[in-house]
Amino acid sequence: MRRAPWRLAAVGIVIAAACTQDVTAPGACPTFCPSAVLTVIDTVLAGAIIHDSAFGRPIGFVNPYNATSLLAANLPGVRDSRPIFRTARITTRMSISTTDTTTGAVTGVDSLYLRFTITRRDTATHNLRLSVFSLPITIDSTTALPDLAGSFAGTPVRTINIDTLVALPGRKNTVTGDSAVVDSINNRVTVLLSLDSSQAPFSLADSGQLAFGFRVDADAQPTIALGAFEAGLGPGITWFLKVDSLGVVAHRSQTPTTAFDSFVFTPAALPLDSTLAVGGVPSARSLLRVLFPRSLISDSSLLTRATLELIPALNPTGIAADSFGLVASAIVADFGAKTPLDLTHVDTTIIHVGVYDTVRVDITRILRYWAADTLAPTAIELFQVPEGADFAEIRFRPSADSTHRPRLRLTYSPHYPFGRP
Amino acid sequence: MTARARSLLLACALFGLARPALAQDSQFGIQGLGTPGRDESVASRSAGGALTPFDGASVLDDASLVDLPALSSTVALGTSYRQVEAPNNTNWLRTVRYPLFSVGGKLGHRLYIGGGFSTYLDRTYSVATRDSIMLRGVSEAFNDQVSSNGGVGDLRLTVATRFGPHVALGLGAHLLAGSTQELATRRFDDTLTYAVIRQTAQVRYDGFGISGGALVDLTSSLSIALFGRHDGRLDQYVGDTLTLRSDLPNTIGGAVRWVHERTTRVAASVVWRSWSQAAANAYNTLNWSVGVDLGDAKPLRFGVRGGQLPFGPGPGAPSEWGVSLGTGRKFAKGRGLLDFGIERLSRDGGGLHENVWTALIGMTVRP
Repeated sequence: MRRAPWRLAAVGIVIAAACTQDVTAPGACPTFCPSAVLTVIDTVLAGAIIHDSAFGRPIGFVNPYNATSLLAANLPGVRDSRPIFRTARITTRMSISTTDTTTGAVTGVDSLYLRFTITRRDTATHNLRLSVFSLPITIDSTTALPDLAGSFAGTPVRTINIDTLVALPGRKNTVTGDSAVVDSINNRVTVLLSLDSSQAPFSLADSGQLAFGFRVDADAQPTIALGAFEAGLGPGITWFLKVDSLGVVAHRSQTPTTAFDSFVFTPAALPLDSTLAVGGVPSARSLLRVLFPRSLISDSSLLTRATLELIPALNPTGIAADSFGLVASAIVADFGAKTPLDLTHVDTTIIHVGVYDTVRVDITRILRYWAADTLAPTAIELFQVPEGADFAEIRFRPSADSTHRPRLRLTYSPHYPFGRP
Repeated sequence: MTARARSLLLACALFGLARPALAQDSQFGIQGLGTPGRDESVASRSAGGALTPFDGASVLDDASLVDLPALSSTVALGTSYRQVEAPNNTNWLRTVRYPLFSVGGKLGHRLYIGGGFSTYLDRTYSVATRDSIMLRGVSEAFNDQVSSNGGVGDLRLTVATRFGPHVALGLGAHLLAGSTQELATRRFDDTLTYAVIRQTAQVRYDGFGISGGALVDLTSSLSIALFGRHDGRLDQYVGDTLTLRSDLPNTIGGAVRWVHERTTRVAASVVWRSWSQAAANAYNTLNWSVGVDLGDAKPLRFGVRGGQLPFGPGPGAPSEWGVSLGTGRKFAKGRGLLDFGIERLSRDGGGLHENVWTALIGMTVRP
């Protein structure tokens, strides 16, 4: 009997080891397969979009003054856009001692650096030149390009050839003091432009506030984007100042924040009409209310593909470099123009400027979400990415257009007839 | 640890592993209601099933309960390796099942009572297919898988009594209950464009049956068993929706046993079931078996069986043929019995051939 525990243990091990199964076999169909098979239906629901609206003009969801990019373009007859910015005031008294808090008055300026970052440029843009113009410090979000015609008509403070500067050894011009830093990972070029006191005079009355504007030129496709304050890459200056230190001149520096940046352009964006506008500047969005076919898609796992088909009302406006992403997003609640987006359920496609074709957005994720959450509002908001950083816009035919309305194309599987051999 | 304690521990372990009873499955049952289970103890199954009508631990003949020497509890475990030879492919499948649990014993002067569960229909399978479909003008290849896991159990309550020294009668009530977890999936090769389709459902089964049987000792060494059973309808539900109602078969059968000096038992049995009323592709079945059980302390059992399976593509019922071999050991002064067996089955029909090897372990506890 002393061996009995080992025998019992062996039996237990055999039982435990045997507790697995593999019953999957290639089907010898139809003879030895379940009589029912999974079927897949592909159908177009022409009436699935029941209401729609476009929002975003004249005030856009993103406007030039709160965009993440400052657009510069010089395409005669097509578009003229110029970034502008204004610096914040500086403190007019600065510390002159390292041991106490004694301050001295700012009396003048030695020099300053103007800093800006090119975040996007067309690969066809060559011999890229930027001209910097001094602008009145009264510029704000209501300023338009015609308001600055006089300032831009004058002589630029500086004109710099970006390609030449980047090609210099060390990317530094030892004569002018200009330099560039190239971020090849993010495809950015940050330029430090050296100005003297005559090009950027210090005004005590203005507390050192300055405003500048940029005009871009190139041999071809003069269109670029500068980083904006909203992206943490806004243009700015660094002052090298003279400070009165008990009759002796002390040298101090200040880097004020960007008080305002924007871009002014012509022609102005077209107003909204009955079509579904998406993109442009100011940026527009369109809201599509969907009659979700819950009778067909009662469970999210039944849906294998869903495509929103949109027919453009006009050829997408812009230049080839303006191709942009079109995002279809679920929403949290339908509040019209103020609809909050559900950015955890989005689908995207690319709109190619110059191509006129039906736009198809795969919205499988959104419709699966609707099938799973029956309380979710069945509406889709269309918007552009990056929003407000691209002049291109597209306009689609609305649901009121009975022949070219937006459509929903579904590929789904009807319920499998479980409970039958 | 005493022998009794060890026995109880092992019994508890086996009971803990036990789940709603299932038997070995078959591809032949996919298009039917399933694969009928074997309501046989390991000892009886090792002898080809011929001794089943005389085995109180089995559930074929309710009257056999009177042959239990004491309160007994029996469980069975089977591991099957099944080779499926289809026209275009051959595969080995593996399943583990707990096809039987029974408990019974003497309640009064002549009254015996028992119960337990066994497999009535097994519906465990998984079928994988590959195909393609034209979607939006493009041919999309996909893999489909349809699977079912579970079956219908037979929960029974049996009473039996003796009428004199030579005749015993028994009656049983059977609750047919169970469920299958069913799954149908389609996975396109282009998973970036087409999401996986996955449908699941739990199918619930509900039915009822009654049975009766008699044991007659013709001489001191020759006995016969006669038994019958009527099962009503099997309802299948998905949620609360009745999806299918099937007529279940009537069963009649008989067996004869010859015993020599209490250590040699030879038996033969035949069972007929009217499965043809159950479904469109179902057939009545006639199954027979012959078996021998030699010895008492270290028995040797073997047998042969044959007959038909109830579901197949036609034109006739698939055939089944098998041999089995087994032995057993007593321990804890006869209060515990371990039975071991091995069975080989061969099935043919409709161009499909199955070879099944099943290793069986059974345990009986008589506290």
